Amino acid sequence: MQRALIFSSSNPIYSQLSTTIAPPDSAVFPKRDGGWIGPFSSNQPPVFRLRNYKRTLLPPLCSASDSVANQPTMASQDEQDPRISKISSAIRVIPNFPKPGIMFQDITTLLLDTKAFRDTIDLFVERYRGKDISVVAGIEARGFIFGPPIALAIGAKFVPMRKPNKLPGEVISEEYSLEYGTDKMEMHVGAVQAGERALVIDDLIATGGTLCAAIRLLERVGVHVVECACVIELPELKGRDRLGDKPLFVLVSST
Amino acid sequence: MFAGDQNGLQGDPRLKAISEAIRVVPHFPKPGIMFQDITTLLLDHKAFKDTVDIFVDRYRDMGISVVAGVEARGFMFGPSIALAIGAKFVPLRKPRKLPGEVISEAYVLEYGTDCLEMHVGAVQPGERALVIDDLVATGGTLSAAIRLLERVGAQVVECACVVGLREVKGQHGLNGKPLYILVEPRQQINGSAPSVNGIGVVNGIETCRHDDLILGGNFSSPVNTTPKSD
Repeated sequence: MQRALIFSSSNPIYSQLSTTIAPPDSAVFPKRDGGWIGPFSSNQPPVFRLRNYKRTLLPPLCSASDSVANQPTMASQDEQDPRISKISSAIRVIPNFPKPGIMFQDITTLLLDTKAFRDTIDLFVERYRGKDISVVAGIEARGFIFGPPIALAIGAKFVPMRKPNKLPGEVISEEYSLEYGTDKMEMHVGAVQAGERALVIDDLIATGGTLCAAIRLLERVGVHVVECACVIELPELKGRDRLGDKPLFVLVSST
Repeated sequence: MFAGDQNGLQGDPRLKAISEAIRVVPHFPKPGIMFQDITTLLLDHKAFKDTVDIFVDRYRDMGISVVAGVEARGFMFGPSIALAIGAKFVPLRKPRKLPGEVISEAYVLEYGTDCLEMHVGAVQPGERALVIDDLVATGGTLSAAIRLLERVGAQVVECACVVGLREVKGQHGLNGKPLYILVEPRQQINGSAPSVNGIGVVNGIETCRHDDLILGGNFSSPVNTTPKSD
């Protein structure tokens, strides 16, 4: 099921980046076995579900009929940016790609919807503009689609994080685990300077393996990774946890 | 055609800065190739913005509804252009990257062939399209991109690249479609571009799209390729 995250435009971006938001006492969130859990510990406003969506791998977090009960009550956190629902519905799900059991979140249909694509970029730009971010690092290849427009709008440089042997010249490499085996991510030496503030962008976070590799590459050269930003999160794969203390901002959560 | 030939862009200092922001990496991916590395352009916010702005100014009023970007460096330029001119962005990808139903177009390498894919339904008949990539060498990949779009009834208005030689050599010739290029490849590793304003041909330079035929400058060289990667 595609769920849109509540994006509160009234919440100052600076505080979202630097402090932990405590949801109101009256806000409750569903957990997998049907009970309720306390407020989030990460810098992320609560989510609520939008529409029906069958997931083949894992049981749903809660049923569609819970949707009314999920809505938080505090005004500053329950305004959903009206752009989010169109973004969510513009994303196409392809079953059994690249292999059986995977419900692939296809953002190419979002790119065909000029307003939804524009809104996607605007939501990120509104969050990161004026926050002294000088680097947007995008992960090959779909991070290359979202990263540069954001970088251009906020006055940052764009740094591609690539598969091995694609970048010419001197690179640094970071290995990361796959389900079977490992892969490597590379970044150009000299692309970023120590002390720069960076965002890492990709279309989707699953397990968080690639994002972690990107974070490590940047931190190895002394860059401060301010936040990771993705269009989509697959929360059951716990990528957010894998990022540890690095904040994650997503527009749409999908179970 | 080159941007610097156009009325209004002759001597435009933005073109010089764009050219100088592109790094030349010698002997990549193999000896003899002077690789035109646009990643340094992406690090120069003003030059990167100017690159996009020049394309946007050109295409804004041409009724273009589709910007098709060739994987992967076409993805770095295409979406920003698409967003600014109100067009959709369509990624043209290597095989098996796009989920769902695709159409494929094969094209010839020195040894064997490779393939470019596009989603079925991404583009409608009658739409006016722009194809974008970072660099054009012989035009093999661009020609495959044009064929994909034309197969679904789109009209390719132009192909646009940041870097390219004045004459697209090789047997492809872009099917007669116009080609718009901002700057020529540089031979020097450091220093200014010798032909930003488009005068003359850069001698002895080989430039490589890294997955396409090597384009010779003023000398005839055997057609040569590197393994497909970008």
